[in-house]
Formats: sequence, structure tokens, C-alpha cells
Amino acid sequence: MFHGIDARSPIPLYVQIAERVRLAIATGTLGSAAPLPSVRQLAAELRVNPATVMQAYRDLEAEGFVETRHGAGTFVRELAPGRRARERSQHAIGLVRKLLAEARRSGVSLPELQRALEAELGVKTT
Amino acid sequence: MNNAIDIERLHYRVGKAFEIKDLDLHIPTGSIYGFLGPNGSGKTTTIRLILGLLRPLSGRITVLGDPMPEQHARVLGRIGYVPEQPHLDGTLTVRELIDFQSAFYPRWDRTRADELVQRFELDGDQLFGRLSKGQKAKLMILLALAQCGDLLVLDEPTDGLDPVVRRDILSALLTYVSERRATIFISSHLVHELERVCDWVAVMDNGRLITEAPMEKLKHGTKRLIVTGAPGEISNAPFRVLIREATNGAGENWVVGDWEPGMTSFFDGLGATVRDVIDLDLEDGFVELLRSFRTKAGGRA
Repeated sequence: MFHGIDARSPIPLYVQIAERVRLAIATGTLGSAAPLPSVRQLAAELRVNPATVMQAYRDLEAEGFVETRHGAGTFVRELAPGRRARERSQHAIGLVRKLLAEARRSGVSLPELQRALEAELGVKTT
Repeated sequence: MNNAIDIERLHYRVGKAFEIKDLDLHIPTGSIYGFLGPNGSGKTTTIRLILGLLRPLSGRITVLGDPMPEQHARVLGRIGYVPEQPHLDGTLTVRELIDFQSAFYPRWDRTRADELVQRFELDGDQLFGRLSKGQKAKLMILLALAQCGDLLVLDEPTDGLDPVVRRDILSALLTYVSERRATIFISSHLVHELERVCDWVAVMDNGRLITEAPMEKLKHGTKRLIVTGAPGEISNAPFRVLIREATNGAGENWVVGDWEPGMTSFFDGLGATVRDVIDLDLEDGFVELLRSFRTKAGGRA
């Protein structure tokens, strides 16, 4: 779930960690009431500052994805129907933006991108 | 007490060759503080001053609320210190060294020591002199952690170790700070390793402090810009210009500090254009800071 967290990226580590958890919740890897690793455990495993993990968990809590029960740990909350699907669409938009930005930077045109997508998927998109 | 260590206007010199001058450091309690600098920049000397092992010519050093070196006897019991070079008796076994060390520290945590012996896969009957470099480093970390200090001072703790040992040591340190509100002061020239764990960073070169900043601020405030059409002299820039040089292609290569999004508008006022804003990771930022500092120091001399 946390594979490839990148300290050299301009995206802060706590944002990256929260993003991974959000995605795992959106795709159902983490179901309702599933426990998150403890701060201590995750900090040691990823070799990041415990404060970084705490910040990520605080953000997830503020967004309503998880709840922290004192002394017991942090757990995925029961989510409103449709929220997981909405998170997945959000993630899809993010992926497409990244792809488009990368294409623009390397000078790949839109039709070229579309042809590549079609060839990869084996379907016509228009 | 907000800071575990405070250093103000520190001046230290030995002989004519090397001096530490005008050093100010502020290490917040509970932080993991990375102390960066090339070899010979004064990191180890600064650590020895913090521990009260050297006496400054002038300036003030406060560690865990007490002045150093005056109160070092009282303070040292609360500091776990791992020096750069292994300093333990090679003719004692791992178990003997642990027992020996434990006698000096009233807060010694026997359970933690046993746990770490297991986790680090150390053999209690081995002679210290017979241990590999990695095993020696692990034992020294174990001794520093088991004494349950409020402050850990680590001088290049993972230098020259293989990646597996480095990983084990870092994990053990992070477990320790998540359990106790301890402060870690860690010197290194291994920038990537610190990039993951530190929340504060200081950079030293040639006995002077170049910068002290929260990690995020340093990382996100240092950028490379590709600029065209800028006049030779600029003033009132809202950011710091560290480096400015011609590139092979069009425009100039700038490295700036204290950068914030939206500052490109400053260039509009000059009739100049920012072609690109490039993120730097900590290592790139570190190298550019040093380069800028040395250029300016050279220019003054």
C-alpha cells in the first residue's frame, strides 16, 4: 500500500501517505472498520518521522475517512454510499492530469496520445 | 522549555586553521534535526561543544535547559551520544558492555536493551573487537537508546554502513521517538537519508552556519528558475538569489531561496520572463546552497 513513497518528490511525505490510504479506501483494499498501521509501526517501516505519519492521519481524520479511538488506534470509517466511487473518479482525474502534463512536457500531441491509448486498450474512443 | 538545544553566537577556535564563528542553532524539543555539512565543516566539533567536551571562546550553549559546559555532569546523563568512531573496549563482550554501560544510567531500560539485542541479531558472547562495522554501530545505538535519554546526539551514525544496517538503525530510532517525546540531533552528509526523517535541517560549511530551517520550507523554498530578459542588477526581490549564471541555451539559470508560488509576478515587473520553475530535492538544494555560500565567501576574501 505504501510502496514507492518518495522523499525526493516535491509532494510532501504526509500528503503522499494520506493519498495512499485514501486510494486504498476508495478501491476497497481498506474496508470499513479496517485498522491503519500504528504511527509507531508505519514510521519505522517507511523510515519517516512519526510526526509525518501523525499529520497524514490527522488530515484523513479531518476529511472523514478515518477515526482515531484513543488508545485503540486509527480505523477506517463507515463511508456514505457513493463516496468510494467519488474518490476513485477523483483519482482518475488526477491520473489523466498527470499524463497530460507529461505529454505536454515531452511534446506529444493529443491525437498521438489518443492513438496510443486506443492501441493500448484495443478499442476506438471516437 | 521549547528547545532541547540552544546555541547563540558561539565562537570556538583551535590553532589558526579552523574556527567556528557566529554559530546560532535552535533545536526544538521533539524534533528530528538534521545537521548537514561536508566533511571538515565543523559538525563533530559542534557536537563536542554541545556535549560540553570542548569549551567555547564565547557564546552561549543551553542543553535541556542547562548551560554547557558548566552543567555537563548533570546533563550528560540525559543524553544518548553515539560518536563517529567506535569507542568501546574491544576485549569485552556485547553482554559485558551492556552491563557495564547500564551501571551509569539510573533510567536504564533493560527490556529495551534485550529487545534490541534480538532485533539487531547481536550475539551477547561476541567480543566487541570481533564485531563487524555494522554490528558495532548497532550496539552503540542500542546503548544510546537503552539509557532512555531525552536527547540523542548522533554523529554520522550510519556513515559507511550497508543499506540493511542503515535501515535497521533508522527504524529503531524512529520507534524510540514515537514512544517517547525525545529529540534527535543527527549529523550526516548522507542527505537522502535525512530527507525522509528530519523535520528541521541546518547546513554548515567551513565553521559557519549557512542555513537553519524547517525541512519543508527548505525543500519547497529552493527552486531553479530559467529566466530570460532580466536586467543585470535587480533589487527588492522577495526571494533570495543564490546563484545566477548563463545557460547553454536561451536565458539564465537562477537558483533561489525563500521562494513561494506566485513570485513569478516579480519578473513581470522587470520585463523578464520565467520560462520554468524546477523543483530541487534536498541534495540539489544542499549542493546549490554550498556553491552559493562558497562563491560569496570567495568574493569577499
